[in-house]
Amino acid sequence: MDNANTRFDPDLIHAIFKLVWSRTALEREKNEGADPLECEVGAATSKKNRPTSANANALKLSCELLRVFVIEAVERAATIAEAEGVNKIEATHLERILPQLLLDF
Amino acid sequence: MEEARSELEREEDEEATELLRDRFRLSTISIVEAQAKKSDMEISEPIVACISDLAFKYTEQLAKDLELFSQHAGRKTVNMEDVILSAHRNKHLASSLRSFCNDLKAKEIPSERKRKKASRKEDKASTSVVHIPDL
Repeated sequence: MDNANTRFDPDLIHAIFKLVWSRTALEREKNEGADPLECEVGAATSKKNRPTSANANALKLSCELLRVFVIEAVERAATIAEAEGVNKIEATHLERILPQLLLDF
Repeated sequence: MEEARSELEREEDEEATELLRDRFRLSTISIVEAQAKKSDMEISEPIVACISDLAFKYTEQLAKDLELFSQHAGRKTVNMEDVILSAHRNKHLASSLRSFCNDLKAKEIPSERKRKKASRKEDKASTSVVHIPDL
């Protein structure tokens, strides 16, 4: 069916990953900048401080992992709602499944 | 001066995060609605937003984990093994990711190697980083 709509876009996930990684790279740089000896060889360390990257398959796999995470959240909450005999998922249902969900991921 | 720059940087960072969070939320909404429809359930809007934020936080945490895993392996690039490792606490999740990973690999491998795939599934998993010709 419309499979493209029911999963995450690897580019989007890549953008989020890159944001986090550039943040940590920046932090690393700052920490090293505090060290006066490291300051001089800035050109050499810039390569070392290059942010992490990811290959295409790893991104697809991460998308799958996130999709499973979201689907599990909905499914588990739906089970609780069903047991209560209502057909709308509310906050209390999510609250009930949240601890175990976070332990499982 | 230095402070003003880092302030500006932080603002830019926050702006980028917000943008990505919104895009992420749109994807989550379509996944959640599709799933809810499948199981014949309605889902209230704040809960969808809640799940989306939860998943976004999880993504950020995942990014940190993956970076550490790949660094620990002495790499600068995250590969599929790192992603599977991040799910190591849940056997079912890890095995489902493993089979998804094998599917992805099977798509790339030309058909003549595909036939041998089943018997070599195990060791291919560990040789995915460095390509070792096994002929």
